[in-house]
Amino acid sequence: MRAELLSLAWLLATVGGYYLLKPLYRRRPRWWTSPLLTVPLLLLALGLLLGADYPAYIRDTHWLVLMLGPATVAFALPIHRHRRLIRAHWPALLAGVLGGSAVAMASAWGLATLCGLDDAVRRSLLPRSVTTPLAMLASADLGGVPELTALFVVITGVAGVALGELLLRALPLRSALARGALFGVGAHGAGTARAYDVGMQEGSVASLAMVLSGLLNVLLAPALAHLLR
Amino acid sequence: MRTLHARMRLLAWRRPRAARALQVLLLVLFWLACDRLAAALRLPLPGSVLALGLLLALLLAGAVPAASLRRGADWLLAEMLLFFIPAVMAVWRHLPLLRQEGGRILLVILLGTALVMASTALLVDRVFRWRARRAR
Repeated sequence: MRAELLSLAWLLATVGGYYLLKPLYRRRPRWWTSPLLTVPLLLLALGLLLGADYPAYIRDTHWLVLMLGPATVAFALPIHRHRRLIRAHWPALLAGVLGGSAVAMASAWGLATLCGLDDAVRRSLLPRSVTTPLAMLASADLGGVPELTALFVVITGVAGVALGELLLRALPLRSALARGALFGVGAHGAGTARAYDVGMQEGSVASLAMVLSGLLNVLLAPALAHLLR
Repeated sequence: MRTLHARMRLLAWRRPRAARALQVLLLVLFWLACDRLAAALRLPLPGSVLALGLLLALLLAGAVPAASLRRGADWLLAEMLLFFIPAVMAVWRHLPLLRQEGGRILLVILLGTALVMASTALLVDRVFRWRARRAR
């Protein structure tokens, strides 16, 4: 009975903390006010009180994780919405998505090998640039740990928003297409939200680049897993 | 299908929240059906990706009007953060590993992300300019 109450309390804390901390980001949109960072920190602090027991935590909250499935399906609508953008700029988009994903995987694998990281960690790092639901799918295929990948994806999102702003100032980019692709391929959803602050067109390109590179990762994962065995 | 769509539009206009909930439910059911289908047919791709592909095909063919799912889809995408926060809390399970390799992992992610962003942006900009020059 007590265990059930504890799991329910965790679910309430997760949902409550999320809706409590979301307005903070809307009022001050900075990388350190993102619910991506603040909610897990709040839950980690609560864990010191209630006990950091993952099985008890996930028992009721796994329903939330399950909703990533329908959220993936919902990506069909932005693709459909931006179909004209795809038709007009498919060569640049294709180059960005293919090139960016290749650099993402190669850099993760190369740098992780160089740093002497664990093989499971290295495999979990491979899809870390794409949006969480698709990254977790790809991670399972690649022999990684999907939960570790979720954590790496979040770190990438938080770091990517800060890095993206620096790079935007440093690189000589002329097109909205390039500015959007930078955020969409490099920092998935977190980056896409930031790209919409830069401009409408940047945001559209970012959301499209995010979905397409995510799909590319999922579709290529089985073949890549075969190669890396 | 047409009358169903008209009813959905009316509902969206009169009770937007109810329409959103209904659209989310429809997307969940569609995902569930495709998930079962992919498992039954032993397809090599995940059910959610199959569902995405099918829905996109239906939208492009005009069989499903995008307006009748827009609210629900936008809500699911906007609240996606909430859905993966529980997965992130698996850090509790991997604390020893992170204590040992956390610094190096952070370094790999930071360097890797900077590389991905810079190369993607420069590549897209180059292709865009090359196409613009050729079009002239």
